[in-house]
Amino acid sequence: MSLESRISAYLEGLEEWLHGLYHGMVEHPAHEKIEKEAEDTTDVFLFACFADAFGIPSPVSYYTAELLPYLAEEFVQWERRLWDRESLVERKGQQYHF
Amino acid sequence: MDRFVFFGGKGGVGKTTVASAYGVQCARAGQQTLLVSTDPAHSTADVFGQSFDDDPTPVEGYDGLSAMELDPDAEVDRHMREIRRAMSDQVSPAIVNELDRQIELAHRTPGAYEAALFDRFIDVMRSSDDYDRVVFDTSPTGGTLRLLALPDLLESWVDRLRQKRRESVDLFEKAAIGDSEARATLDEDPIIERLTERKETFDFAGRVLAEQATFVLVLNPDDLSIAESRRAIEELREADLSVGGLVVNKVAPAPEAGETGTGGTYLRERRQAEQARLGRIHAEFDRPVVAVLERRAGVDGTELLDALVAELDLETAVEPPVT
Repeated sequence: MSLESRISAYLEGLEEWLHGLYHGMVEHPAHEKIEKEAEDTTDVFLFACFADAFGIPSPVSYYTAELLPYLAEEFVQWERRLWDRESLVERKGQQYHF
Repeated sequence: MDRFVFFGGKGGVGKTTVASAYGVQCARAGQQTLLVSTDPAHSTADVFGQSFDDDPTPVEGYDGLSAMELDPDAEVDRHMREIRRAMSDQVSPAIVNELDRQIELAHRTPGAYEAALFDRFIDVMRSSDDYDRVVFDTSPTGGTLRLLALPDLLESWVDRLRQKRRESVDLFEKAAIGDSEARATLDEDPIIERLTERKETFDFAGRVLAEQATFVLVLNPDDLSIAESRRAIEELREADLSVGGLVVNKVAPAPEAGETGTGGTYLRERRQAEQARLGRIHAEFDRPVVAVLERRAGVDGTELLDALVAELDLETAVEPPVT
């Protein structure tokens, strides 16, 4: 194996390793945090739309029912999550992977 | 008078009769007139001796007059069916069952009937280009009035929902770092699209009601009816809807001067009491009394209608919308 190809193999490995480090330390946690925030906002949105699923009457539930076909999976997950959630902080610390 | 005229009042005061008479009057003045009944009891059929359904049907014997009876229950069912149909296109059957409960719930709440009625109102107003005048005979519940005051509230509510949805979709877009694909995008989000559509509908309704609609309250010369009308005027004013005038219906006629029997005396006393209340109505309400109609016995249907049309002194000329 020539010196040249050894160097390029080494650089390739280094680059992959660095990218992994970057991904693990910066990219992924950032992605996770933003996505969690997006999910939380979606939860708020779903609650504003379908408050009557939890017994709070809403003047717009007749209209928001129209959105259900497009929110199907989100709605089902949301409903289950809200019924099952044990504490409010439980979800907030998840991205730290203790 | 504006293009859309709503007749409202307590149950049994004679809204349907007065609204029908006004419809006939407009048609006779040469306007293409549509009479829309929203009362679940649908007594328009009794007035004209003809049955109507959810589509405008020409009224026999009256040129230029059509009538329709709205059926909010059918509209609720149709709305629910449509959502279920959209769902079977979009969603896997396993989830459909879970969502069915929510859909049922949304269509069985007390507000669903009103929402459906409101939807039909808007449909009728939107598709009424063929008519010069549309006369609504509203149902006796205060619900209808409250409903018509709602578009602003609903519009801002829907707008807030849309804002929230935008926020979360925006975050989903930002979360899509590198090669990963966003779970939702602002450009093609069906939710935002639907909410925008709804917002525009409410906006349309709010504008038409504020600019092209007049309310006429029908009342009887009795204390309950007067109190109810006072509340209704208050409510309409708060919603910035214009009350065109009051129609006092079922006023007792005066007996002949020579009648002194029990019947004559009763009628005279009653007449006196009602005239006093009529005076109060004139004095206490700041809206004009546009017609005072006497009670009639033994006449019915079209005969009554013809008599009323002659007495009803409501303006029929269509004003251009104030903008």
